[in-house]
Amino acid sequence: MTDIAAVRPATSTVQQWWVLTVRVIKPTLRNGEFGTQVAAPIMFTVNFYLPLKQFMGAFTQGTSSYAQYLMPLIALVAISFAAISAALRSATDSVQGIDRRFKASPIAPLTPLAARMSASMYRCCIALVVSLACGYVIGFRFYGHVAHTVGFLLLVLLIGAVLALLGDLIGAANKNPEATTPLLLPPIFVLGLLSAGLEPVERFPSWIRGFVRNQPVSQYVYALRALAGDSTPAAGAVSWSVISPPLIWLTAGAVIVLPLHVLVSTRRR
Amino acid sequence: MPKRRMPNSDNAVVVDGVRKTFGSVVALADISFKVGRGEVLGLLGPNGAGKTTTVDILSTLTRPDRGHAEVAGHDVASDPAGVRRSIMLTGQQVAVDDMLTGRENLVMFGRLQGLKKSQARSRAKDLLDHFDLVDAADRSVGTYSGGMRRRIDIACGLVVRPEVVFLDEPTTGLDPRSRQSIWELVSDFKEAGIATLLTTQYLEEADALSDRIIVIDHGTIIAEGTADELKERTGATYCEIVPRDMKDLPAMAEALGSLLPEQNRAALTAGSDRIAMPAADGPNTLAEALYLLNAASIELVDIALRRPSLDDVFLALTSRENGDTSAMRVEPEESEGPSGRHRLERNGDTPVTRVEVGEPGDASGRHRLERNGDTSATRVEVGEPGDASGRHRLERTADTSATRSDAEVLP
Repeated sequence: MTDIAAVRPATSTVQQWWVLTVRVIKPTLRNGEFGTQVAAPIMFTVNFYLPLKQFMGAFTQGTSSYAQYLMPLIALVAISFAAISAALRSATDSVQGIDRRFKASPIAPLTPLAARMSASMYRCCIALVVSLACGYVIGFRFYGHVAHTVGFLLLVLLIGAVLALLGDLIGAANKNPEATTPLLLPPIFVLGLLSAGLEPVERFPSWIRGFVRNQPVSQYVYALRALAGDSTPAAGAVSWSVISPPLIWLTAGAVIVLPLHVLVSTRRR
Repeated sequence: MPKRRMPNSDNAVVVDGVRKTFGSVVALADISFKVGRGEVLGLLGPNGAGKTTTVDILSTLTRPDRGHAEVAGHDVASDPAGVRRSIMLTGQQVAVDDMLTGRENLVMFGRLQGLKKSQARSRAKDLLDHFDLVDAADRSVGTYSGGMRRRIDIACGLVVRPEVVFLDEPTTGLDPRSRQSIWELVSDFKEAGIATLLTTQYLEEADALSDRIIVIDHGTIIAEGTADELKERTGATYCEIVPRDMKDLPAMAEALGSLLPEQNRAALTAGSDRIAMPAADGPNTLAEALYLLNAASIELVDIALRRPSLDDVFLALTSRENGDTSAMRVEPEESEGPSGRHRLERNGDTPVTRVEVGEPGDASGRHRLERNGDTSATRVEVGEPGDASGRHRLERTADTSATRSDAEVLP
């Protein structure tokens, strides 16, 4: 046998985190996943904007354009798809047994999760950049203060992070890559379509308005719309009452999901 | 990293009174054993015996309910990080990243173990060379055959030197060449002073590779020793005599006189097709029997000294017909009689394992072992007439079947 390195070098958590992050990102650049990451937001933009612009655009409560109204939902749906990729990846890892191998290696228990999350944030960034580019093409602009624009970007990424955490947990728990996408798509569509992202709450039947107004996607949309601003006052002012509900939703999500992650990552039967 | 002193330098693995239950299922009842430095210990047992649970506990993936286990001087419960730094684990399932190439996997695992990029690269190159994967180095592992996958899996565990290696059924479903290279690797580990714990269902593998064998069933160690000791335990060498004409059997029994103990004489029935008797003096017993039978003018087809094969040992020890483990010894002649039929059926996560031994009226005294697992049928036949050890035959058929199963693993 070739000589085995006689001394074990010390391991570094930062190096391990980086190696595991690159491990997830690298294949996406050559197996076509990068292409779908770019294509998805373009597809959502075309699919929502073109058919709905004419007849929904009339009910957008005075925003300057339907593009301005629609932008938050495009960004959110694009981000959700990034979270599905995270779920797919963690499910694949646990079904292939590579999780098991990492657990028996000198790697801190949460490092693989941290690396998968970093890769998810990379996906979210692609989704955000491409959806903003699409928004720009159909006429969306940032009208607010620079701080508000930064807030818009951060809020989208934060939502992406919590969704990716959730997706990753679901993937790791059900260990079934094939079932992961069908499991996660319906909630995204239901919450996306039954929200204030496409049309105002007032256009929904009265019995469902309560749900539509208060569910998290609508709350995110209200906050993002306010942060993006508009040439008219219709986007709403940036205020604590608009920003706090999304933050509460996200905090609650993280508080529930993170401990479960720690449990799954450090569990020894 | 400071080099840690091993408290007990003779033992790479110490397992003491370990018990593990999953709900109401007792996976390990009370297991104790040791593996010395540079020793290869074979953990032999059927599906569901507790082999993988043992490996999981030693590689810190599972916590024992009770008892104490130490790997390379590190306690699995109080110092799991120390254990993880000292081991290499190859599970039943190949655990590498299918989306990366073989080389990328090796570099990744090298970097995870703390190697610098250049070190990891050159180590990857060496390992690809050694494991005969140079041509496939830059293809994604998802396209590899079963044997190649297993080789890259093991190679990824060798990017740095382990103190203790756990090989959990490493050759299941491999072609003969891959199997051979893994067998050679185990010898290399031994030479390098690396302790190896090998779990296997293949008897000949445990026989060929292990310094010592532990037979485990139902979470209990039911036998321990070298392959020779185990064979000894199941029954000493015996002499088997097959007459040309079965009608001569009573005359043979008569002629053998005091050589044939009462017990074996009583075991003869109308359906017997041979006489088996203890050969306390080995060749002398055989010579004497031959002399006596010649004098009585009885024509023979075969007379031979036989040692029980490891198959006999395994089946005798793990047979489910006898409920309690203490009664699991089976004398060789029992398996020749009409009632000497042993079946071992099990429903585990891999489908049915079915073993039949010594079918009545099977003149060749053939032992069959059929297995339907996820790796398709394995069929092993041992102990042909005139083949005193039955070993060669066993290995050959086992290899053939392995080739078949490997072909099915190909994507």
